[in-house]
Amino acid sequence: MTSEENVNRQTAPNPALAILLIPWGLLRSAARFLRRLRSNVPGMIGFIGLVAYFIFTFIMPHIIEFDGDPNLDEIVGPIGSRIQLAAHSENAHLRSFEDLAGKTVGVVDQTGGPDLIAPYADSLTIETYRWTSRRAGPGLEASLIDLANKEIDALLIFSKTVTELIDNQEDPELKALFAENIVITNPELGPPHLLGTDTQGRDIATHVVHGGRVLILTALIGGVISTVIALFLGSISALTGGVLDSGLTALTNLILAIPRFPLLVVMAGLIQFNNTLYLGVLIGLLGWPSLMRAIRSQVLSLRERDFVEAARSLGLSTNHIMLREILPNMISYVMINFIFSITFAMYEQIGLVVLGLAPINDYTWGVMLYFGRSRGTLYNADGASMALSPVLAIALFQVCLVLFARALEEIFDPRLRTAV
Amino acid sequence: MVDLLQKAAKNYTVRVFVQAILTIWAVATLTFLLVREMPGNPIDVLIEQILTQEGVSYQEAYDRVAASFNFDPDASLLDLYLSWLGDLLRFDLGTSITSPGTAVIDEIARFLPWTVFAVGMGLLISFVLGIILGMTMAYYRDSFLDHSLSLLSSFMTGVPNYIWGLLIIIVLGIQLDLFNVGELRGTYDISLTPGLNAAFVLSVFKHAALPITTYVIATLGGWMLNMKSSTMGVLNEDYVNVAEARGLTDKRIISAYVGRNAALPLFTQLTIAVGFVLGSGVVIEEIFVYWGIGHYLFQSITVRDYTSMQGVFLILTMAVVFSNLFADLTYGLLDPRVRISGDK
Repeated sequence: MTSEENVNRQTAPNPALAILLIPWGLLRSAARFLRRLRSNVPGMIGFIGLVAYFIFTFIMPHIIEFDGDPNLDEIVGPIGSRIQLAAHSENAHLRSFEDLAGKTVGVVDQTGGPDLIAPYADSLTIETYRWTSRRAGPGLEASLIDLANKEIDALLIFSKTVTELIDNQEDPELKALFAENIVITNPELGPPHLLGTDTQGRDIATHVVHGGRVLILTALIGGVISTVIALFLGSISALTGGVLDSGLTALTNLILAIPRFPLLVVMAGLIQFNNTLYLGVLIGLLGWPSLMRAIRSQVLSLRERDFVEAARSLGLSTNHIMLREILPNMISYVMINFIFSITFAMYEQIGLVVLGLAPINDYTWGVMLYFGRSRGTLYNADGASMALSPVLAIALFQVCLVLFARALEEIFDPRLRTAV
Repeated sequence: MVDLLQKAAKNYTVRVFVQAILTIWAVATLTFLLVREMPGNPIDVLIEQILTQEGVSYQEAYDRVAASFNFDPDASLLDLYLSWLGDLLRFDLGTSITSPGTAVIDEIARFLPWTVFAVGMGLLISFVLGIILGMTMAYYRDSFLDHSLSLLSSFMTGVPNYIWGLLIIIVLGIQLDLFNVGELRGTYDISLTPGLNAAFVLSVFKHAALPITTYVIATLGGWMLNMKSSTMGVLNEDYVNVAEARGLTDKRIISAYVGRNAALPLFTQLTIAVGFVLGSGVVIEEIFVYWGIGHYLFQSITVRDYTSMQGVFLILTMAVVFSNLFADLTYGLLDPRVRISGDK
């Protein structure tokens, strides 16, 4: 903030030029900041991580489409499965789509197989099987029998299920037939479902990509609101003093004594939000007290410094003193605590979602966890990718925030401790 | 008389006591208003429900809601408020709405000890570990050990505690199959009779192990960093140099001179942690299906049992307030400097 003013003052008599110089000043201070960050390895990791998260959650969703069509009428496949290729034992060398040219390939509906194979439809013959044989049409077992009997040359399928079907085959005849004729080859066809599919046959990877935007926006709303309130009340309290100050301090102490998360849980249970962003507002409205107290003491100590004394003796207004003298000196402190309040907002809203007390209409990482718990996939050994991907997405985001905030702490002032 | 009152107002103990009572009173009022006056408050919701479902008159619906909430339908808001406060003074939190006849306070007495046990154990272990690790970090500062421990602490504090809980379940319980998650639900093995026998105590610890581990992991990082910075501050003090110059053994300097003084500021933070961990227990206990107070709170929310909800909420707040009070009162015993000046 100060540096851009300096640039303006020194070089810009022409206002048009001055406006052009503002981004230049910002860029310069950003570059200076990055140079200082470079020596702090964890901070750099956190910073790069946050940039990656930004790209991942705000840009990638425009490129990767959300796989939101559940196929509830037919429960599809084991969770977290990958597509692989089953072939005849003597044809185990089939390794790519080029090898499949001219052959007959079976795909199982709703496993992503049809999508994967569509671009090559001209060069091979496709047989489609259904996942269950509950409805009309050949089912999964039929596909294996066809494969074993060489009616098709290869089969694109969930590896885990195929293995289970082959290993646990109770019909001894089929078991022998499968064992003799089928080999599961090449993972190299590439999994079209990078992280497998969920209980409804939807692609988990697209859910991870799309699941962060609303969460992060809500956390930002919560963080901004609580930081702004804390900044406003904290500085007013410190600058005016007197009854207002003691009143605000008492209020802050009172709110601090209330366990915040249970209060949120109770309120969310009473209000029953239908929009996640409102939840962000509520989190922000409840989250300011500890930061307010910290900012109040910051302002109280800055107020006694010589430069503020000087400004006051020049007769400058309280507004001017606050905005021009005090605020720039604690802006880094506010920034750091802003980041921490984002982590808190993130913590609280995801906690509420996991409990099922927050809206679940946006398919976020938290909602993935909620469904993982309520549908039991968390407790299923096959569900590793479905259970772990939202967990890791949330965990790593929070760690990046903390690493970055701690680096800022060290860069700007190692003596400053955070409010929480 | 006035003189006595003035003396009392200046007395530290009296002041923190009054503060604690005022806080509880304010929270009780807030809870009262939350349940009765907030938009979407349970009383209006219940009345609405009865009106639409059974088509009775408003007065009758109101009377029935009043009956289930145990309040006199003809009384004014102020009267209700006063009688509620009166009930509170007698530790009467009303009866549960969904299971009539069950006193909320009895239910709380049944669930709360488990939470106190798990949270207390977790905080105790993490506090002791954190003090040891934090001092180690300060003594070996800027070493590889220090850097890796501080990176580790970022992970421990950054990752939400329920995410740690889920990671424990998913990775250790399900994927590596180290223990049976289903068996560890509840607070003890129900086939055992509660009592002071080895099997029961063992089962209690076994069932609390996962929540305790989660609390330890999630709070340890904070203690480590705080203890490190606190120790570094103490290491610069003159009395440490003097102790070294006097030729005291390292062991004595570390424990009596550095450790004790550096750990003091952390005791006040312990009470903040109590509030936070108690509060976050709602999710942790739900995840591990540990039947503590958080589990009870969540159950009452899902069935919209408002009297239980407000009772638990009030008790949780009181727990936080009393642990603050406890810290304020005992701090003087730990730190003689405070005792002499009589004020923090």
